[in-house]
Amino acid sequence: MAEKTFEIPIGPVHPALKEPIRFTFQVEGERIVGVDIKPGFAHRGSEVVGTRRNLIQVLYLAERICGICSISHPIALTQAVENAAGIEVPPRAQYIRVIVSELERIHSHLLWAGVAAHELGFDTLLHLTWKVREKVMDILEELTGNRVDYAIPIYGGVRRDIAPEQYPQVYEMIRYYRGLFEELADRFLNDASVEARTRDVGVLTYEEAEALCAVGPTARASGLRKDVRQDWPYLVYGDLGVKAITPEDYGLETRGDVYDRIIVRLLEVAQSIDIIERCLEEMPEGEITSVPKIPALLAQLKKAEGEGIGRHEAPRGEVIHYIRLEAGVEAPVVWKVKAPTYSNLMPWVPMFRNQEIADIPIIAASIDPCMCCLDRVHLVRGTEERLVWKEELLKLSREKTRRIRSRITVHGSRVTDHGGKA
Amino acid sequence: MNAQEVLAALKDALGEGLRDPEIRTRTVGIKSPQTIEEIWGRIDRDLLLEATQALKALGPLHISIISGADIGEEIELLYHFAVGFGTEGGEVLVTLRLTVPKSAPVVPSLCGIIPGAETTEREKIEFLGVTFEGIPDSRHLFLPEDMEIHPWRKDEPELEKFVKRAVKWEERNG
Repeated sequence: MAEKTFEIPIGPVHPALKEPIRFTFQVEGERIVGVDIKPGFAHRGSEVVGTRRNLIQVLYLAERICGICSISHPIALTQAVENAAGIEVPPRAQYIRVIVSELERIHSHLLWAGVAAHELGFDTLLHLTWKVREKVMDILEELTGNRVDYAIPIYGGVRRDIAPEQYPQVYEMIRYYRGLFEELADRFLNDASVEARTRDVGVLTYEEAEALCAVGPTARASGLRKDVRQDWPYLVYGDLGVKAITPEDYGLETRGDVYDRIIVRLLEVAQSIDIIERCLEEMPEGEITSVPKIPALLAQLKKAEGEGIGRHEAPRGEVIHYIRLEAGVEAPVVWKVKAPTYSNLMPWVPMFRNQEIADIPIIAASIDPCMCCLDRVHLVRGTEERLVWKEELLKLSREKTRRIRSRITVHGSRVTDHGGKA
Repeated sequence: MNAQEVLAALKDALGEGLRDPEIRTRTVGIKSPQTIEEIWGRIDRDLLLEATQALKALGPLHISIISGADIGEEIELLYHFAVGFGTEGGEVLVTLRLTVPKSAPVVPSLCGIIPGAETTEREKIEFLGVTFEGIPDSRHLFLPEDMEIHPWRKDEPELEKFVKRAVKWEERNG
């Protein structure tokens, strides 16, 4: 019997994204048979704006492209400009850039893990994860002065050094997260209801991830060993021997589902902690910038002519900036920016196929760790229309968790309350 | 994989069609410095699919982005490929540049070879007014469907109105 297909538009404002986006799902009963994705509701024309500003102003603009990976865009941009203008970066500055980007990865992955727990109706775990995330936020504030928009990279170096008296605090953070890791991994990966809600949900196969050019943890959770830090060494990542992490590193077969994306992100938190520790040990003394005076830097950039590419492995995947400079012109002639979610838009389509409506929040969230408020879901059934608010969609998701919990015996889970109010 | 192998494969496939091929090198790393090589070249649009096929034959192929610029009478597109991810330092960045006249800005779509290129091609349709032959979905992606201007075109008079309107609005509140 052929079922009638209905369309469910979700968005443009949605809880799993930092940007508003519109999904139009085609559903048969509870099953999703297709999805159309429309981004662009927060398009600010940054590239056009950037070509009307001088390069220092462009750096500020790049920092504000994304609030979560607010060092990723400056790192890619400074590399692109340094490649184009032939500016050297002192060794110590390269290490500091790496330390701050790994701190950012830790906070971003923990933020995402909390969001994922919330989408599953597991608010106790959300609160635990976000409580432990505060530690890295404190260190970011200590080292850079800010919890977001760290303003660390500048063309030719960094703007702040790490002082000797700050080292013990960073080492203390490293010990704190090492002590916690087992517990965090246990609560996410050995919880029967988390597993039931995420195993074989939102699957992206290896072939699909490769063909659709997925990036970051989304690609690695599908088994692709794709990580800019490994594949295309930049800064000091080549020295550090960073390797792409896939679920196989946790001793499990790769299935490319939401559960695998949790594994990859948790393991990457541990990897980032190791990288930070090594950087602190290996970081040489010395200058932190090759052109300390901003007017001199601006004058040098104005004379520069050429083009360059900068890439960075942001918490969500590859960021790439292309820049073209012309002598005598302060503003870049061409500036193209690509953020990781741009590449991960198309991989969403196979992930949603044949899934249930109640799994929409967790699948949408499985790509991108940012949280914003879902205004409403506009549900259209034939000529009858009604609005479904965020709470109702979350309720659907939570009811599914409870249904599953009542069917399975929860062994070894120390967190007993999976409920919580919206 | 190294840049010489990739460049040799491209030359094999395109012959004289690959113009101004260049390997740009620089050194990265402090303790164990290594050389990073990037390939830059210029092709005609008729050779784009052959070039992509040649790169695909070398190993896993990722398209990072297509950059674009209005350079007067022509539109320049830069295809930034990453060939051979998955090994330490084994990825080679390849940038292929091509120009199309504004009077007929038509380029073959890569979606048949790399389905993941659709997002970036759709962006070039709306921002530069380029047509991609064979793209499965040519609707606007980031801009509203009814927005007819191409914001990256430098001779786009409507864009200036957008920018100036925004400035006026800021002043009124300041």
